[in-house]
Amino acid sequence: MTQQESTMTPIVPRFVVDTPPFMHRGYTIASMMRDKIIALVPAAAMAIYMYGIPAARVMALSAGTAVLAEYLWDKILGRKDRLYDLTSLTIGLLFAFLLPAGAPWWLVITGSAFSVILGRQVFGGLGCNPLCPALVGWAAMTVAWPMFMDPMAMTLQTTLVEPLQKIKFFGYASLPEGSELSLFLGQQLGGLGSSQVAAVLLGGLYMCVRKAVRWEIPVAFLASVLLVGGIFWYLAPQIGLNPATTPPPHLYLLTGSTMFAAFFLATDPSSSPVALGGICIYGLLAGSLLVLIRIFGIYLDSAPFAILLASLVTPMCDLVRAAPYGRRK
Amino acid sequence: MASMWKEFSKGLWNEIPPFRLVLGLCPTLAVTKSADNGLGMGLAVIFVLVLSNAFISAVRKIIPKKVRIVCFIAISATLVVAVELLMQAFAYPLYQQLGIFVPLIVVNCIILGRAEAFAAKNPVHLSIADGLGIGVGYTLALTLVGALREMLGTGMLFGKYIMWESFQPFKIMVEAPGAFLALGSLLGLMNCITIIQARKRGDELPVNLTSGCGGACCNPEK
Repeated sequence: MTQQESTMTPIVPRFVVDTPPFMHRGYTIASMMRDKIIALVPAAAMAIYMYGIPAARVMALSAGTAVLAEYLWDKILGRKDRLYDLTSLTIGLLFAFLLPAGAPWWLVITGSAFSVILGRQVFGGLGCNPLCPALVGWAAMTVAWPMFMDPMAMTLQTTLVEPLQKIKFFGYASLPEGSELSLFLGQQLGGLGSSQVAAVLLGGLYMCVRKAVRWEIPVAFLASVLLVGGIFWYLAPQIGLNPATTPPPHLYLLTGSTMFAAFFLATDPSSSPVALGGICIYGLLAGSLLVLIRIFGIYLDSAPFAILLASLVTPMCDLVRAAPYGRRK
Repeated sequence: MASMWKEFSKGLWNEIPPFRLVLGLCPTLAVTKSADNGLGMGLAVIFVLVLSNAFISAVRKIIPKKVRIVCFIAISATLVVAVELLMQAFAYPLYQQLGIFVPLIVVNCIILGRAEAFAAKNPVHLSIADGLGIGVGYTLALTLVGALREMLGTGMLFGKYIMWESFQPFKIMVEAPGAFLALGSLLGLMNCITIIQARKRGDELPVNLTSGCGGACCNPEK
């Protein structure tokens, strides 16, 4: 034994784990969720400013229902409830942000309960959901009551424009002059919180700085949107697309819920990949799907669907990682 | 007579096909857009199942063991063609609604499952009772799933509007995801009832509630 050791090259440790006690970094699920909720505040304030009391009503109803649904579910199944970690409150708020401000109360309640129960609890609760819970509720409601989920139909008497529809049917030149800034500041018709691009970006940056989410995910997603959108914009005449209805790439970021999806929906901890390689594939897939659905699909705001579909391949994305050193072949 | 009743009644609750045996799920999910469709599909299955059980049980002694599956399929395929032709003759609208799923009854696991698990080992009268019980159970289950989906998805039941006036149909229930939602919720409910019953009787809680072939052959503990 000793002889063998002496002939081998000395082992240099690459990663040293010291003996306990360890120092806790202070992150808990509740603190991450608290950061997420704080990050939602600017967009919520902007939503109330733009749409008034109805927006506050939708948000309060949705958040309340989500918490109640989780409480009742745990109670009926005899599980210990985890309301203190604020996840159900976050799901309720995220779902509310995707709704139009004039959504009827029964739709808000059904959708919010759907998000929590079908999106997460039936799979086993926190951390077991294969898809972002708020998106599950949103998708179910969009299929069930498309009319009531349409911001155009639900918000009457408004001076706001619906940019996605204008781009799709009248070409992006039909947007008013210098509308990039007003779109950025949330002057557009859409989901009540998800269309507040500037406020969402502010909240998203706050979350990234506080490390409540991985910053790689929104960056990969938004970069892919720009890249794929740019390719289509550049190649539109060559591949037989109408150049007028194929917007320049930055308009994808400024319209609809792209920004909201990038920072708040795509980063859902249990439905997004862990390793960097996986995140790049996930972002590229979601970004390309967003552009493809906007150009070729029938749904105007494609961001939630793009994220939902990309989440389905998350387990595959997680397989992409560096081989451990010295692994047996 | 008592044993016939026993074989008949087990199909109604203890081994009700889509919820307990978890067999025949393809039609359960695909054709239950309305209670009508569920009922029609169920009746077709009763017809095929009772007759195939009877025939197979009658010839069980002369079928060589090695080719029994082929024989079972040949018998049930003949019956399915018969039911298809009968449907075209007497219930054409229903036939159009069910479409491909009528010929697909032949690959429905329940038919082959009952033939293999029951009819090939038991006398004719018991096999008929078994086929009838399982078939009726299947029909009830399909009608229930269909009624649930039709009621929530369109507000109607057997084509009549029954919900309140301002009810907004929950359209997802008549789409494909609604089938999974309805079936999943009913399965959960069945298991819940079983657990409560077991608890009341003071029995041990059942481990594998939805076990393949009637819990007889797949349960590793037996």
